[in-house]
Amino acid sequence: MEKLYTICIFTENTLGLLNRISGIFTRRRINIESLSVSETERKGVSRFTIVIKSDEREKVEKIVRQIRKIIEVLAVFGYEDKDLTYNELAFFKVESSSALEAKKILAGYQRAKVLFEDQRVLIIEKAGTEEEIYSFFKQLKPLGILEFVRSGRIALPSNERGLAQYLPEAEWVDNI
Amino acid sequence: MKDQRSDTLIEKESLPQASASPMTGSEATIKSLLEEGVDTIFGYPGGAIMPVYDALYHYQDRINHILVRHEQGAAHAAQGYARISGKPGVCLVTSGPGATNLVTGITDAMMDSTPLVCITGQVAAGLLGTDAFQEADVIGITAPITKWSYQITNADEIPEIVAKAFYIASSGRPGPVLIDITKSAQVALMTKEFTYTRCEKIISYRPRLQPKQDQVEQAAALINQARKPYLFVGHGVLIAKAEEELKAFVEKTGIPAACTLLGLSAISVDHPQYVGMLGMHGNYSTNKLINEADLVIGLGMRFDDRVTGNVAGFATKARVVHIDIDPSEINKIIHADAPVVGDAREALKALLPLVEKRDHSAWIDAFKQLDKEEFDKVVKDDLFPESGQIKMGEVIRILSEKTHGKAAIVADVGQHQMEAARYYRFSQTDGYITSGGSGTMGFALPAAFGAKVGAPDREVVAIIGDGCFQMTLQELGTIWQSELPVKIIILNNNYLGMVRQWQQLFFDRRYSFVELKNPDFITIAKGFGIEGKRICDREELDGALDTLIQSEKAFLLEILVEKELNVFPMVPSGATVSDIRLE
Repeated sequence: MEKLYTICIFTENTLGLLNRISGIFTRRRINIESLSVSETERKGVSRFTIVIKSDEREKVEKIVRQIRKIIEVLAVFGYEDKDLTYNELAFFKVESSSALEAKKILAGYQRAKVLFEDQRVLIIEKAGTEEEIYSFFKQLKPLGILEFVRSGRIALPSNERGLAQYLPEAEWVDNI
Repeated sequence: MKDQRSDTLIEKESLPQASASPMTGSEATIKSLLEEGVDTIFGYPGGAIMPVYDALYHYQDRINHILVRHEQGAAHAAQGYARISGKPGVCLVTSGPGATNLVTGITDAMMDSTPLVCITGQVAAGLLGTDAFQEADVIGITAPITKWSYQITNADEIPEIVAKAFYIASSGRPGPVLIDITKSAQVALMTKEFTYTRCEKIISYRPRLQPKQDQVEQAAALINQARKPYLFVGHGVLIAKAEEELKAFVEKTGIPAACTLLGLSAISVDHPQYVGMLGMHGNYSTNKLINEADLVIGLGMRFDDRVTGNVAGFATKARVVHIDIDPSEINKIIHADAPVVGDAREALKALLPLVEKRDHSAWIDAFKQLDKEEFDKVVKDDLFPESGQIKMGEVIRILSEKTHGKAAIVADVGQHQMEAARYYRFSQTDGYITSGGSGTMGFALPAAFGAKVGAPDREVVAIIGDGCFQMTLQELGTIWQSELPVKIIILNNNYLGMVRQWQQLFFDRRYSFVELKNPDFITIAKGFGIEGKRICDREELDGALDTLIQSEKAFLLEILVEKELNVFPMVPSGATVSDIRLE
């Protein structure tokens, strides 16, 4: 039975690292469901959030160990959905003729709002889990979606640990 | 400079922290290599690396640069050098095809954990990404096959990056690293003074040498409880230079020890507890008794598929202790009941006081019993054939006797590789150098040369098949030019022997494109200024090997061997180790 696993990788901000990391997945024929990278609260440290599907936890553990081998990787953690607080963002573009209907649908959802509106189009932003976004998508689809984009998941584990515990080295200057 | 309007000199505005004579990037590169103790470079010049070669010109007395004939030869030579000396092998090549020609060798080094530092030239920074002449995305191409790589566009970075490269290549589980230096960085002047500090640690990379005490204790407990323990000695023992500790451990615990292909010579074949070689073409007893053991100890080995056969049928009655420096190898193939992450030498030192003195002679005897069967069915005919063409086994036997098991055998890939591994009586460490994980044909000729450079006082003998030889034979030129006495034996059966064997056993003798029409190897060698001799009769064998060994210059001995010889025993692909066949 396939489950979603989220892998969080802390790395130095080096060129070519994305290539090396994605190579680990490609080699094992694992499709990346979503990928998000950005700088963390510490300068020079980047955070990758990668979501994959797997039928075996052991397979994911092996991948995590392989990623840890990469020189510029500082720390790697794998999580199941139950360990995380996670969300992603989606934008939906509909024709202005459907705007009224769309706004009615929107009203029934939390964290959905109008981002942009003119005589041609209406762009809606929706935040939520993958399932929430998918059900919003299904509701909106009959109105005719012109264009749609998802951001990919970001997630934080629900435990009390943070970067200071993961990366105890005090060699970087904290940069909030 | 002088002010034109007066007789005073004008002070030239000095740049902050510039040294008295600012250094170019290429000079910094050579100086950095010298700081790392590099005495040998295997290389091939070209447009994008010319500034470095120009800087090298002034250091010829301090660095021995060896011009190869193909960059692949440089990579394999650097591997041979690294394997025998333990120091990282250094390659220097140009951009584009020069760099891509290294790919096979780098892959090989990655698979066999060999420390290599490859420096490739690259087009000027302004041309990157424009499909310039001899431009190639080397960093992208080598990402999956290097431990680390970096592209230098700023000359100031050179000392730090070179230091990091050498540290990464040789520490933890060794491997190849690649530094791609743009031509603009090579010609640019550094804006700061050249200072060099060896890299001692990297924040994001912390290999564990000293194992955790609780892991060691757990392993020791299992070892002490075991009734039929079995030790697998791998490449990690040679890398860690743990031969003495291994001997002490084996003698205290009384455990039988078998070697993987790359672990050969870590323990002398004459040691009473040495039971043979593991693997697809290993010994009969070593494979058959794996499923009788109640504890297997993997020491510096990675449970490669050639050793395990069908994993479901491997060590079925045994618990597993896995000692390795690479934590990602633990539980990768085989579940470890007692993992120990650390350097093989440190692990053995930590285990020694905790393991108890035992005697397992009865268990070891079981190996010797099966050895008799292997001797009767396979070994006797391989080593002492009474008629027919010369066999590979007997060549290795006589060579072993004449060199007292102390030569460094550099084997290429195929049947001859297996015969050399099986029949050479290794009595000195670092005695067997081959392409294991990758099985790269063409490895041996340049690697033998590299090994000779790394250990000039040791007899180095390359054992090469007729197919393999033709893959890198241009390196005969390198050998000739260097004047090093590399000894080469070609075991010629006019076939791609290993493939032919499989076609015979598993494809109903459909010999699909494995027969080779070979050239006159002796004439070719002579063309490269190397003496040679061809023999095909048993009577000539002894004398010919004497000539080879006694030669003070490079020598090529071509021996025509039995054409359709098969290497046995064999664990067929997909079978379990218990299903090992003697015929």
